[in-house]
Amino acid sequence: MRIKFVAVVAGATALAAVLAGCGKSGSSSGGGGSSSASGSGGSSATIASKLVLGGPPEFKTRVDGIPGLQKTYNVTFGNFKALDAGGPLTIGALKNGQIDAGDIFTTDPSIKADNFVVLQDPKNLYTAQNVLPLINKTKATDGVSKTLNAISAKLTTDDLVQLNVDVVSNKQDPDTVAKQWLSSKGLGTTGTDAAGTTLTVGSANFQENVVLAEIYAEALKAEGATVNTKLNIGSRETYIPGLQDGSIDLIPEYSGVLLQYFDKTATAETSDDVYSALQKAVPSGLTVLQQSQAQDKDAIVVTKNTADKYHLVSIADLAKSA
Amino acid sequence: MISFSGVITWLNDPGNWRDRVGQEGIFTQLLNHLQYSVVAILIALAIGLPLGLLIGHSGRATFIVSAVNALRALPTVGLLILFYVIIGPHIHGKGDAAFLIPTEIVLVLLATPPILANTYAGVQNVEPAARDAAAGMGMTSTQVLFRVELPNALPLIFSGLRSAALQVIATATIAAYVGLGGLGRFVYDGLASRDFPQMTGGAILVAILALVVDLLLALGQRYAVSRGVSGRFSKRALPADSRSGEVVQLEVASA
Repeated sequence: MRIKFVAVVAGATALAAVLAGCGKSGSSSGGGGSSSASGSGGSSATIASKLVLGGPPEFKTRVDGIPGLQKTYNVTFGNFKALDAGGPLTIGALKNGQIDAGDIFTTDPSIKADNFVVLQDPKNLYTAQNVLPLINKTKATDGVSKTLNAISAKLTTDDLVQLNVDVVSNKQDPDTVAKQWLSSKGLGTTGTDAAGTTLTVGSANFQENVVLAEIYAEALKAEGATVNTKLNIGSRETYIPGLQDGSIDLIPEYSGVLLQYFDKTATAETSDDVYSALQKAVPSGLTVLQQSQAQDKDAIVVTKNTADKYHLVSIADLAKSA
Repeated sequence: MISFSGVITWLNDPGNWRDRVGQEGIFTQLLNHLQYSVVAILIALAIGLPLGLLIGHSGRATFIVSAVNALRALPTVGLLILFYVIIGPHIHGKGDAAFLIPTEIVLVLLATPPILANTYAGVQNVEPAARDAAAGMGMTSTQVLFRVELPNALPLIFSGLRSAALQVIATATIAAYVGLGGLGRFVYDGLASRDFPQMTGGAILVAILALVVDLLLALGQRYAVSRGVSGRFSKRALPADSRSGEVVQLEVASA
């Protein structure tokens, strides 16, 4: 009986060892969740084919993901690793060299903190996502518009990055950060432009949008408006109806995704095209004010070392032969 | 929309089973999934089995069993990210090590408690009379452990191993969360790209794999556990006159 038991245990262990061995050789050649894609067809190896890209799992099939990179820039990475949407995994993997390029957001604090290089997107693979105020028409008085347009005129992508660093990384109070930004741009001065207007400012449920809403709210307050805030409302499906029924009046938005929300068939890509298409697509009762040049959109980023090594400035450079 | 026929179609598409450019097939991911699981279970066995035997045999340091059991309460995905954030910065360069090590750690943490607790309980619950008899026959302490306590504890040890295997195989899906492979790849990719047949198909494959492995372990248990313990006797081996009622009774009593 004992011999039988020993034999079974030995057999099981051997089977397990063999399985583990097989698995290991299988994964080392292909890499677990990564998938090799080497169908670029070119005779000389491109820079991209030597690099590993990391991004959210859906990047594999997304129109502006791997298929888009291939179609627009003829860029095919040597490997793709499914990680997260600009979260700790992608940032960590990029920092530690498990991936060479990552799909993250242009306003991510780590771009500054870790010296990542955002590759330019001259062919507009990633639709413009300019920050702009979406407002109920009845509340968009001349004074309110003037106040908000002044903010849009000053807001840049670098500002957005800094605002994110302050509230996300340094855990500062969004309201304080908003006031600081306004005064640093000379916008916090008191006036009477918006006097007599009562507004409710809303925001989506992420920190950057909350800070932007606070900036709008503080500026309007300084101009004499009576302002309530309803922050962290949730997704677009929740707050757009809220804007239409008047439970909120104003919310910071992003041009590209907002256009997609109102018009699923929209094809505009550049900032100006998206903005003019958006002005037509916005339902009656709502309107968008002037857009800022600040954008929060997808970007392919690489480390400083990789950029220097291959002289990378734009996504198109990845298609050059190494 | 989740339609069942979509899942059937996905599972039946040979293209989904083979490796394609940009997408590893079900066979490869099945092997990856088994690899992550088997490695974790073997490590957990290497920790839990000797420790459980020792604690059960000596009756000392039993607090370790309860302490390890408390590990079961930790949320696996949260732990995975935590370990990645802690370990990741120390591993540089290409390769999966930075993702694989945190994954295996959380799977081992998941698999060790049931193996340890059941081994301990199995050894502890061996009848004192059997232990005394063995000692009385002149067996050394080690002999008592390996010839009396271990064989008697095997049914419980196996049930611990089976529950660990079931849990590890089901949870190994999270390997895909940190960019590794395994059947979880289909679950996460399907969810992210709203390809619900793929997601459901992946989940079904995980469930089937867990059940098949459990079945195999049950089979292993059947042949590894002594018949003196399991009471599983062949009817032919018994004298003809005692066949009918007695055998049934014996089996029921020891079941």
